[in-house]
Amino acid sequence: MAKVTLVEAVNLALARALADDPRVVLLGEDIGVNGGVFRATVGLQERFGPNRVLDTPLAESMIAGLAIGMAAMGMRPVAEIQFSGFIYPTIDQMINHAGRLRTRTRGRLSVPMVLRAPSGAGIHAPEHHSESNESLFAHMPGIRVVMPSSPTRAYGLLLAAIQDPDPVVFFEPTRLYRLNKQEVEDDGQPLPLDTCFVLREGHDLTFVSWGAMLHETLEAARLLAETEQVSAEVIDLGTLSPIDYETILESVGRTGRLVIVHEAPRTAGLGAEIAAEVAERALYELEAPIVRVTGYDVVTPFFKLEHDFMPSVDRIRRAAHQVLEP
Amino acid sequence: MKTFHLPDLGEGLTEAEIVEWHVQVGDTVTTDQPLVAMETAKAVVDVPAPWSGRISALHGKPGDIIPTHAPLVDFEGPGGEQPSPTTTTHPTAKAVSAPPREDQGSVVGHMPAAESVVAEQAIIRKRPAEKRTVKALPKVRRRARELGIDLRRVAASGRHGETTLADLEAHPAGTPTAAPRAPSANRASQTETLRGTRRIMAQTMSLARDQVAATTLFDDADLEAWQGRQDITVRVIRALAKACTAQPALNAWFNGETLEHTLHGHLDLGLAVDTPDGLIVPVLRDIGRAAPGEIRQELERVKKKTQARALEPGEMTHPTFTLSNFGMIAGRYATPVIVPPMVAILGVGRLCHDVVAVMGGIATHRRLPLSLTFDHRCVTGGDACRFLRTLIDDLAEPS
Repeated sequence: MAKVTLVEAVNLALARALADDPRVVLLGEDIGVNGGVFRATVGLQERFGPNRVLDTPLAESMIAGLAIGMAAMGMRPVAEIQFSGFIYPTIDQMINHAGRLRTRTRGRLSVPMVLRAPSGAGIHAPEHHSESNESLFAHMPGIRVVMPSSPTRAYGLLLAAIQDPDPVVFFEPTRLYRLNKQEVEDDGQPLPLDTCFVLREGHDLTFVSWGAMLHETLEAARLLAETEQVSAEVIDLGTLSPIDYETILESVGRTGRLVIVHEAPRTAGLGAEIAAEVAERALYELEAPIVRVTGYDVVTPFFKLEHDFMPSVDRIRRAAHQVLEP
Repeated sequence: MKTFHLPDLGEGLTEAEIVEWHVQVGDTVTTDQPLVAMETAKAVVDVPAPWSGRISALHGKPGDIIPTHAPLVDFEGPGGEQPSPTTTTHPTAKAVSAPPREDQGSVVGHMPAAESVVAEQAIIRKRPAEKRTVKALPKVRRRARELGIDLRRVAASGRHGETTLADLEAHPAGTPTAAPRAPSANRASQTETLRGTRRIMAQTMSLARDQVAATTLFDDADLEAWQGRQDITVRVIRALAKACTAQPALNAWFNGETLEHTLHGHLDLGLAVDTPDGLIVPVLRDIGRAAPGEIRQELERVKKKTQARALEPGEMTHPTFTLSNFGMIAGRYATPVIVPPMVAILGVGRLCHDVVAVMGGIATHRRLPLSLTFDHRCVTGGDACRFLRTLIDDLAEPS
């Protein structure tokens, strides 16, 4: 098995989908000749040709609309949004068409498209390249939202997203693109959508996180175990909408303590949704109030302050102490 | 020697081409003096000197492509001028001796990269939730901690089985409640109307209390003389049969209204059997005439049918005497209740090893505790004592 980074795993999955399914096409800004600004599509236009890997004009609304039309007509488009802050023009297309064409046509048309977009801060990029806007899309009915946290899951979940018969917004945490490697078997096997992944088992408290923040969350869990004998369970949400509450509630039912970690701003972030659902369904099981560790309600700061904006290992550990000694 | 590496020229580009050197080896330059003109994908820019000093080497000639962070200019070492304070923290100066990086894309920023391979095990887990033993709001849990009360010991009255603040207040601090914490068991009292055998028991016992003048005699049968293994129940039945023959007044029925005392020539023995459904009394017909082997056989048959609830109505009616062998569970003596129209019942308690006074000292003997209740309306104390004497004597026989 090859040891690959997350961005290489994305490239492997895209190549595999292009090779296995003639309906798959890629489109986006600079994805062909340039290979994508993050190099996710490098080499794919050379290999599959300009009819399967399309460079588009700089017009995100058009990219999304093009993908929706292709998907409705039976293709399997995978569109790339270059930077996270460039995704906003697609929202009209995604809400008004991608998410509801199946309903609007009473099932006659569906939209099996994937909108790939980078996500998150922590790479010293300009502020509109550092957005964590997953909750905007999780709020839209009819759209799946997926975010991998490792090369293995990037590969398996992207293949699953491409095969899914409905629209999927697939967020790729840029900070993890090259942070480390994993052995990934390029076997074309998708991973299941709509399920959490338990990355560390524990019994004292439950961490729920997704995307790049799992890096810090796992580190916090490791330190809690090694220095304080605290056994923390770490759950990777995987699919952000719809959320697999079964796994979360089972875990919280045992630990009685929940800390949710996300990089996106706090207000109306996905953490609020999870906290509300767990409170509704398992409040009597809780030993302590649910705690969220999140980004602040500000525009992502420039890189001198970026470090203070990102939820740190230390902040996550303090949240753990808060639920352990309420 | 200090090496100046090609900085990120601000556009996130990974390389640049040397257009023209503005300096030569041996030149002394000052901070911010242009060193070289470099062409990027977007423009030709002059790269300024990061500090003052004398140049000892130039890496590359016009037309060469230099990767970002690769060495560009060497300056003479410590003998040269110190770097100016404004440039000591120049970010590019930190990239010393890093090998040219792989293509990280055309991104403004710094993509953290490492070769480390992460081994992880991601579990897709679907298992039913086991609920925690105590349901309570965090507020209640905190109050319980303040009061030093173990929530598991507090009876829960909440609608969803949760312990409430009111439950905490009602709970005397530090005093454990009797019942272990089980939500359903600790709910408010429940009333159920008795049905089936338990209903019959309630009616029969009330009748017995109202009609019978019950008196109970206690004694022990000494089994010390027994030889080999003896079947206790069979021996008790054999002894009963003897006693009934000797004192027929106890193997009888009594009608309180007509005052008729009917003595029976045969022993139809009612056997009190404890079942989950309640007390059931099957009848062993004419057991007084049966041989020991037959008694055991009949006992097994009746027990099986009772446990299977397969007794026919005729097998539970009109006993002439009752035997209650409660000792196999616990209890030494009892005051068994006579079911009219019968006039006596024998209770057999738990077989005990007793310290007994014997001629010349003390010894331990196996003894069987016996409790005989008789209806004093028709049976005299003398009849009952003689009945018990015969019973004890027969039980004391070696075999």
